[in-house]
Amino acid sequence: MADAHVHHDPNIGTTGLDNRKVGMWIFLGSDCMFFGSLIGTYLSYKGKSLGGPGPHDVFNIPLTSESAAVLLASSLTMVLALAALQKSDLKWAGRWLLATAILGAHFVLNQVYEFATFVLHDGLTLSTNLFGSSFYTLTGFHGAHVTGGVIWLMALWWQLKRGRLDARDYTKVEIAGLYWHFVDIVWIAIFTIIYLIP
Amino acid sequence: MATHAAFMPGGATKEAAATGVWSWITTVDHKRIGILYGVTAFIFFLMGGIEALIMRAQLARPDSDLVSAQTFNELFTMHGTTMVFLAIMPLSAAFFNYMIPLQIGARDVAFPRLNALSYWIFLSGGLFLNSSFLFGAAPDGGWFGYTTLTTRQFSPGHSIDFWMLGLQILGIASMLAGFNFIVTIVNMRAPGMTLMRMPVFIWMSLVVQFLVVLAFPAITVALILLMFDRFFGTLFYAAAAGADPLLWQHLFWIFGHPEVYILILPAMGIVSEVLPTFARKPLFGAPVVIYSGIMIGFFGFGVWSHHMFSVGMGPVADSVFSIATMLIAVPTGVKILNWISTLWGGTIRFTSALLFSLGFIAMFTMGGLSGVMHASPPVDLQQTDTYFVVAHFHYVLFGGSIFGLFSGFYYWWPKMTGRLLDERLGKLHFWLMMIGFNMTFFPQHYLGLIGMPRRIYTYAADLNWGFWNMVSTIGAFIIALSILVFIVNVFKTRRSGQVAGPDPWDARTLEWAIPSPPPVYNFASIPTVHGRDELWLQKHGDGHGGAPVPKPAPASAKDIAAIHMPPPSYWPILLALALTVMLSGLLISYYQVVLGGLLTLYCMFKFALEYHRPAQEAH
Amino acid sequence: MADPHAAAAHGSQGGHAESHGGGHATVRTYINVAIVLAIITAIEVATLYIPGIPNALLVGSLLIMSAIKFVLVVGFFMHLRYDHNIMRSFFIGPLFIAIGIILALMALFSAFILLPRP
Repeated sequence: MADAHVHHDPNIGTTGLDNRKVGMWIFLGSDCMFFGSLIGTYLSYKGKSLGGPGPHDVFNIPLTSESAAVLLASSLTMVLALAALQKSDLKWAGRWLLATAILGAHFVLNQVYEFATFVLHDGLTLSTNLFGSSFYTLTGFHGAHVTGGVIWLMALWWQLKRGRLDARDYTKVEIAGLYWHFVDIVWIAIFTIIYLIP
Repeated sequence: MATHAAFMPGGATKEAAATGVWSWITTVDHKRIGILYGVTAFIFFLMGGIEALIMRAQLARPDSDLVSAQTFNELFTMHGTTMVFLAIMPLSAAFFNYMIPLQIGARDVAFPRLNALSYWIFLSGGLFLNSSFLFGAAPDGGWFGYTTLTTRQFSPGHSIDFWMLGLQILGIASMLAGFNFIVTIVNMRAPGMTLMRMPVFIWMSLVVQFLVVLAFPAITVALILLMFDRFFGTLFYAAAAGADPLLWQHLFWIFGHPEVYILILPAMGIVSEVLPTFARKPLFGAPVVIYSGIMIGFFGFGVWSHHMFSVGMGPVADSVFSIATMLIAVPTGVKILNWISTLWGGTIRFTSALLFSLGFIAMFTMGGLSGVMHASPPVDLQQTDTYFVVAHFHYVLFGGSIFGLFSGFYYWWPKMTGRLLDERLGKLHFWLMMIGFNMTFFPQHYLGLIGMPRRIYTYAADLNWGFWNMVSTIGAFIIALSILVFIVNVFKTRRSGQVAGPDPWDARTLEWAIPSPPPVYNFASIPTVHGRDELWLQKHGDGHGGAPVPKPAPASAKDIAAIHMPPPSYWPILLALALTVMLSGLLISYYQVVLGGLLTLYCMFKFALEYHRPAQEAH
Repeated sequence: MADPHAAAAHGSQGGHAESHGGGHATVRTYINVAIVLAIITAIEVATLYIPGIPNALLVGSLLIMSAIKFVLVVGFFMHLRYDHNIMRSFFIGPLFIAIGIILALMALFSAFILLPRP
């Protein structure tokens, strides 16, 4: 009995699932509640600001659409990276990982530019009105998630470059991917609910 | 890293031999972490208790000036916060840590180092919160921290900052533990242990962990918004800017009500283990108990606003939350019926563990009944903010959770230490606590109904509240005496207590199949599970003439030597420290936040890569 | 901790069969999904510029389109379509609770303004 367990991957449980993957899904479920609370706050305060610039005085829909497209594209490169890694195609796995991180960084830079414009051009800060408070907090936490994801992806890429990551470690890339796609779907929700719906 | 490599082969035996402070600091063994949780939480429990005693001493007589109004505010705030986050939750966590792997037939939790990390973050958070006393800035906004009282404008000092950041740190610890336990329960069960064969304690633990990971994000957000308001000038709770102060209350109670079940369900799980053992009968309608637990967890997310009937949400919201609250009483009542039916016709042994479980059933039922009264908005309006509510939630949280947890202590103590607690002292502890508890809290129902408000630091003599307050205070000191008896019991039996052996109670579940205390690797050979009461089936069959199921084949010394256990690690405590440095920096300097953030990131990488394919290097 | 050979075997064959249950998405599928996502996003943005579109229609179609995108990413990119029921329920359950809480908050704050334009 004991032998059967000694030579077993300690990450694989008796259901045959990988502990890390199950854990990541629960984390994402929990993060749904996190963003749910933030989105709920934003929507509860929508249209209740006393004065100051409102959403449609400041939003730059073309820029945000580009951000949305960039993030969607990064989801594609992410799955391609995983697929390449699983086929032991380390060269392309590295390229796709790097591409994902760069697209993510692009998204973050877009957001920095967007925030800077709102502050400097439209005079919308965290403490201008309820919209400013709830908008920056919600999208800022999403941006922080993206930033964390970029750091994670770069770390994986660096491991791959150093020859410390290969097809055996595909789960490490897979769970990073799950996180990354989750950040993408949160943006799908934010893009529609906050930016597009009047 | 080199030292770790040395631990790799046969890590099990190495760590078993290890003693000393360093071995505890670096431990990743779920049993040791469970003990750390238990000891730490018990110390916090004593601190919360002392805070309560000071409050009771202050309230014993009218127009008392033992403590100032400000100190009283700090006392009830820290008493509530401590008991909820630093005593009951981590005492439950002690049992989760120790018992979940044992009851599901696993060698450890799914992520042993993450488990250690949870503990160290919890400890940091607890110390951080209580360090506020040293700086003369103890939190004074109530454990619920209602805005706008807690915004910078009305609470300018650092007291609320301590509370807010402390809770944030503790929340991280709870959520990490939650992810870990869910994966453990779902993924690490012994072969044959289907979901419906899991012991009821495991089921209740699973429900609790889901509540933790889904409810804590709501308070995390509420606290983040408060933090931003206090530090960065956002307007989430600024009424002057059109903000709705109820936002905090909603977010807080979206967390706060599931939190109530986080506090009570572990005790329900313990009682569901203790009763069958000492009645020598399977739990009556165990699947129904399990489904009821799931229902309670699920409904727990839809009743939060019953804490807010008095804020005027309007008839529709009041009705919806009132009906949902009454509904949630149904699965709870079902469980009580099941526990009583388990006793019916059983061969009952009145041990201390069973007495505490019986106390749980009786006291929790009384707390539940006053809870159903609050479910009706018109009744609730009479009772809100009076001592009636204080009486109610102490009946469920003390009469429920604490009695259940002590039942767990008496039941599992021999498993954890190898020695039984003294039964005579145990029964003295029980009766003292039972009498003291009812003396303390039953009169508070009456005090509430005659109009004594919560949270007042003193009252006038002509209100005639003095007599029952004095009774209540005497009761509180009797509780303290009973706790003292427990501590004496612990120290008395530590060396001289009766040696327990693997199965002192003729119990039913897997943890009793292995030595007490268990070896580092728990199970020499992983058992195959045939039913919910696996050990009972192995010993006595199913009680309907079925033959006993086979015991697992004994493991040879060679098998045992080949068991790999995760080696110790110091990264969990370092990561926890770095995180605390980062968050406490908000009180001191933003440079510290940045520094702490970088340290945290560094520790995270070291943590993540500590065992990155170590086998490659070893070969 | 893992035996390297066991892990290697796992990575190349075992892992898939175990964790992906029924089927498996190919690179072709991924690219097709990405194209559909891009098209829907384009339509979403374009909808905003339709002159005189009734608000209810605008909001309704935007919500439906983003829901489709959401499901596509979760189902294909995150493999949930192919994954174990356990993981599906771990994600979808909390998702519905979160949506429920958003709706409840909006109702409680009389902010149910997804529909009428202020």
